[in-house]
Amino acid sequence: MKHLWIVARREYLTNLRRPSFLFAAFGVPLFMVGLMFLVTTLISNAEGDLDSLGNIGYVDRAGVIAAADAPFVPYADEAGAQQALQDGTIGAYFVLPADYVDSGEVTITSREGAPDSLKEAIDHLLLANLTPQAGDDALASRLEDPVTLTVRALDRGRDLEEDAAIGVIMLPVVFAVVFFISAQTTSSYLMSSVVEEKTNRMIEILITSVTPLELLFGKIVGLGVLGLTQLSIWLIAGALLLQSGQGVPALSGIELPLDLIVISLVYFLLAYLLFAAVMAGIGAVSNSEQESRQLAGVFTFVSVFPFFFFTTFLLNPNSPISVALTLFPLTAPLTSIIRLSLGALPVWQFVASLLLLGLTAALVIWMSARVFRWSLLLYGKRPTPRELWRVIRGTPMTAVGTAAQE
Amino acid sequence: MQFERAVSVEHVQKNYGKFRAVDDLTFEVHGGEIFAMLGPNGSGKTTTIRMILDILKPDTGQIRVLGGPLTEATKMRIGYLPEERGLYRNVPVLDVMIYLGRLKGLSGDEARQRSLALLQQLELDEFSRKKVSELSKGMQQKVQFAVTVLHQPDLIIIDEPFSGLDPVNTLVIKRLLTDLRSRGCAIIMSTHQMQQVEEMADRLLMISNGQQKLYGSVQDIREQFALHAIIVEGQGDWGKLPGVVSVEPAANGNGHGADRALLRLDDQTAPGDVLAAIAASGDMHVRRFEEAVPGLNDIFIQVAEGAH
Repeated sequence: MKHLWIVARREYLTNLRRPSFLFAAFGVPLFMVGLMFLVTTLISNAEGDLDSLGNIGYVDRAGVIAAADAPFVPYADEAGAQQALQDGTIGAYFVLPADYVDSGEVTITSREGAPDSLKEAIDHLLLANLTPQAGDDALASRLEDPVTLTVRALDRGRDLEEDAAIGVIMLPVVFAVVFFISAQTTSSYLMSSVVEEKTNRMIEILITSVTPLELLFGKIVGLGVLGLTQLSIWLIAGALLLQSGQGVPALSGIELPLDLIVISLVYFLLAYLLFAAVMAGIGAVSNSEQESRQLAGVFTFVSVFPFFFFTTFLLNPNSPISVALTLFPLTAPLTSIIRLSLGALPVWQFVASLLLLGLTAALVIWMSARVFRWSLLLYGKRPTPRELWRVIRGTPMTAVGTAAQE
Repeated sequence: MQFERAVSVEHVQKNYGKFRAVDDLTFEVHGGEIFAMLGPNGSGKTTTIRMILDILKPDTGQIRVLGGPLTEATKMRIGYLPEERGLYRNVPVLDVMIYLGRLKGLSGDEARQRSLALLQQLELDEFSRKKVSELSKGMQQKVQFAVTVLHQPDLIIIDEPFSGLDPVNTLVIKRLLTDLRSRGCAIIMSTHQMQQVEEMADRLLMISNGQQKLYGSVQDIREQFALHAIIVEGQGDWGKLPGVVSVEPAANGNGHGADRALLRLDDQTAPGDVLAAIAASGDMHVRRFEEAVPGLNDIFIQVAEGAH
């Protein structure tokens, strides 16, 4: 057991200093903060545009506008509005032609283009005036946006409000991606660590000090803690980001629910154990980093499958494909976290997926340990699937070290 | 602590499928000796070493190491330098040494202090913070050797310790090994460099096709292969001497040649009788006189070829 901790400590500290780890742990949050800053600046600029235009003139040939508050100023004809624009009294003006009610055509003349906010302001003004109760602001708002949706799923209650629509769609994706990437990168570190000790022959020296299982589990523990470290950094960065981003409409009102974090952590640990066991097994039977990456790629591809079914989870949460992806161990972590944060995961599916994932992880770890122990000294040749199957069943045809003995 | 029997191997057999890699092998290694394990490539040396280290299990037979079957605790008292060896490449030398020292039961501080002392002894102290990949092959070899002896093991098993080393570094490692022997350490050395075995080893085991061919002290084995002949350097009519059956030129040796001769003796004559006859004759001039004992290299080739 003492050896296990020494191995774990080394794996943790060595990989902590890897440039790729440092980049992922600190670079990604920094990038997100930078992006957020950029978006915030752009949005506030867009909002400022309307103010910077100052007053807005209009020429109403159709006779639609009965009442208009600042910043709107009526002009009798275009020449007057043109003159005011040149004098700088107004920043822009628009003209409603006589046939406006039929055609809907509006011409805007502006000093600095026509930002979205200007169009929205004109929309609102016209809606308010077109309704019979001219000037009723609340009614106009309702006409513009008749439905503000709250979806309440019966089976698991998390209310989704449309106000934070972008956040609601993005949060589960970002959240799932974060946990998924952590589990994937750390388990791929495990694979390279196994392959490295084989290719540089460290393994020969190591196994006269530690048992193969101490070595394997030491690596799994050390790199698991590394994954948790990465997650902590990201979660703290994410929390700070959400807090400082409350002024941004897309982020306001979004918070990371604690129960989702706890459940996701459980999924992360199980997913990590499963991936790690798969990667260790692949590393043990590969002869080079490149070879192992190709094999690992297959598993990674399967496990990112849920991303393609995101809209299915959102619109049709209890379809067979949603249920299947929730239960299948390789896709369970991503699917469950996404569906949980969308608020639609029945309890039985949640429990079944956790159980299946846990059992599979335990089984694969056991198989991987057998393959790992058997293949440590097997250089230069890859065992056939049949041979592997015999090793897993405990009846290998060849002993350890056959290849090295030659 | 010194062990009369550091390793005892009794009637050990190991098969890989139908191939018999080790066939009824029995030998002992004592504390305070350098024990050479010789044999052609593929003769079963590495398999035997791996069975001693419990990496492989023998099919039959018994192996005892440092007084009993190999346990995790005994592993801490063994230093192993395999033939297929390497170190983490992108890690500083000192870090690798401390890690491996800790795996052998040293505390972090002990591992650090002993590593630094050994690196100094091997004239590598200025490289302790350098990455392994920045070291030359010979330097890496010395670091690997340092790792092997870092925890002051009672048993050292070392495969081709001198391959890739220049004469100066070979001497450094030889001194360290003989030093360890004088402190009671048992050293098993597998090598093809017969010169080193002749100079350093106390006893040897030679195997071929997994079977024991020679086993005993280096001295005894060389005498066992003695030719019943003598080699002389000098001038004289050697054929006249009593008991000399034939005179052949003996042009090997260390650069001498022209006046070097191999004299084969009949069964009744001992080398001492010939020396007395030369001294009595008065007209023969002898610069060098020795019993014709073949080098281990010749014995190795003779045994290996006889096995085929």
